[in-house]
Amino acid sequence: MILESVFDDVFLLLGMSFFQRALVGGCVISMICAVIGLFVVLRKESMIGDSAAHISFGGIAVGLLLGIEPLLLAVVMSVAAVFGMDYMKKKIAQADSAMAVMLALGFSMGLIAIGLSDGFSIAIMDYLFGSILTISNSDLLLIAALGASVLSIIFMLLKEYIAMTFDESSSKLNGIPTGILSVIFNVMLAVTVVLSIKVVGVILVMALMVIPSLAALQLSLSFKRTLVAGISFAVVSTFIGIMLSAVVDLPAAGVIVFADFIMLMLLVAYKRLGHSEENRKPSKEKQPIP
Amino acid sequence: MTSAYRTEGAEPILEIRDLNVVRGNETVIRNGNLRVIRGDYVGVVGPNGGGKTTLLQTIFNFIPKESGEILLFGKRTEQFNEWSRVAYTPQNAIHFDEQFPLTVRELVSLGRVRRSNMLRRLNKEDWNKVDDAMEAMSISHLSDRRIGQLSGGQKQRAFVAKSLSLDPDMLVLDEPTTGLDAGSLESFYKTLSNVQKRRNTTIVVVSHDLSAVFCRMTKMVCVNRRIYETDDLRDADGLLRKVYGEHFEFMKHEHECQGVFDDP
Repeated sequence: MILESVFDDVFLLLGMSFFQRALVGGCVISMICAVIGLFVVLRKESMIGDSAAHISFGGIAVGLLLGIEPLLLAVVMSVAAVFGMDYMKKKIAQADSAMAVMLALGFSMGLIAIGLSDGFSIAIMDYLFGSILTISNSDLLLIAALGASVLSIIFMLLKEYIAMTFDESSSKLNGIPTGILSVIFNVMLAVTVVLSIKVVGVILVMALMVIPSLAALQLSLSFKRTLVAGISFAVVSTFIGIMLSAVVDLPAAGVIVFADFIMLMLLVAYKRLGHSEENRKPSKEKQPIP
Repeated sequence: MTSAYRTEGAEPILEIRDLNVVRGNETVIRNGNLRVIRGDYVGVVGPNGGGKTTLLQTIFNFIPKESGEILLFGKRTEQFNEWSRVAYTPQNAIHFDEQFPLTVRELVSLGRVRRSNMLRRLNKEDWNKVDDAMEAMSISHLSDRRIGQLSGGQKQRAFVAKSLSLDPDMLVLDEPTTGLDAGSLESFYKTLSNVQKRRNTTIVVVSHDLSAVFCRMTKMVCVNRRIYETDDLRDADGLLRKVYGEHFEFMKHEHECQGVFDDP
């Protein structure tokens, strides 16, 4: 009987346009995050998304305070932050401390802005924890446009980005304009972070980037298959997460990320149990000549 | 020091004239001169910290030079724009992230990724070159293996194959055999000899393992602040003493040196 009413609920929800928008928007965002995320993970800069998200939070709070479109300001600041981190990484500090500084800076700006205004602490909660069920048609259009452009840029430059991520200096030697490509990537990263805030909120953005890619890496596949696996895991987790959160009436962002985490655990277990090729011992070369 | 046959008609691949390289306050290379011609097999030796790696990195413009000239195919490196004709496998290339999701064939194909084919996929010719390079390094059977699963010697071969995929005229390898056991090392150098013979690729290899390289070289270069070179390998002991000091005793082992070897 319970099951029946659950199914009734699900069909009711699937018929509602706000829920359809949530599903489509959530899945598209997850796809983009998984693609960008794989490169971020392989560059060992998992925290970069988190830092950009917290800077965006600062931007959103300042935007609300000054009456400027919050997401627009967030994009501008997020892009600036990603370049700031890039600069700090080269000139001032290690990558991880650069990211930590940006993260703290963003959050402190947000807190100051909230303190100054005293009026929008409710509105800011939506940005902190995501509000996927309130995605509007114009949001969806924006997400679709971003998704199409990010995915087509990445796939047009896929072999260049793989080469650069693996070995930047030899790519440079082969004449690949690594500087420009990094700039393009950083802008895509920053914009993706801001749009993901709508889905899972500032605090959980990096989960969408990191977890599906990490799960896919457990399978020890070729690069292209790892990319496809990451996208699939991301979309499936988000879909399950949104459905489940509606049925049991829990915050979507939390359930989505938890679903991602469960997926990762399953794959780690799968790997540990020895189904993956990685567990095979590296084959020895010919025995040494005595 | 230059014997007569080398000066006539031989195409110079790399020429270094009065090179000085300064890092920090220290002159790492002082008044260096070097000439490498097509088909040379150059062994670069010298004590740790003597400037071997610095020399290579300066050739490839990774480190600025203080003064002097470096010419590749007769063009100064400042104006040189055919970098695909020279390939460089840096020291510790094989110490990559083992989780990185690449198969051997994918890794080798990254060598074909260059400015002229940006924004399009690798074509049939690219993949043919990739397969040729794997064949030349005897790793075709590892094609679909993940690079993280390879042994040290196999990794090294994969990276050299990546460098070979662009059909370079000159292949520069910095310490390619560090950490390899004696057997892998020997078979690696045999494969490299075959590449040099079959493809007429000029090879410059930095190595601690003097003896394995020694018998295959056409030219020996010693780097210790200054660059010493000799084409007469009978003179090698004298050259090594100049660099390492009078007490240096060079151990020569018997190696199969010349000719084309069976692929392992």
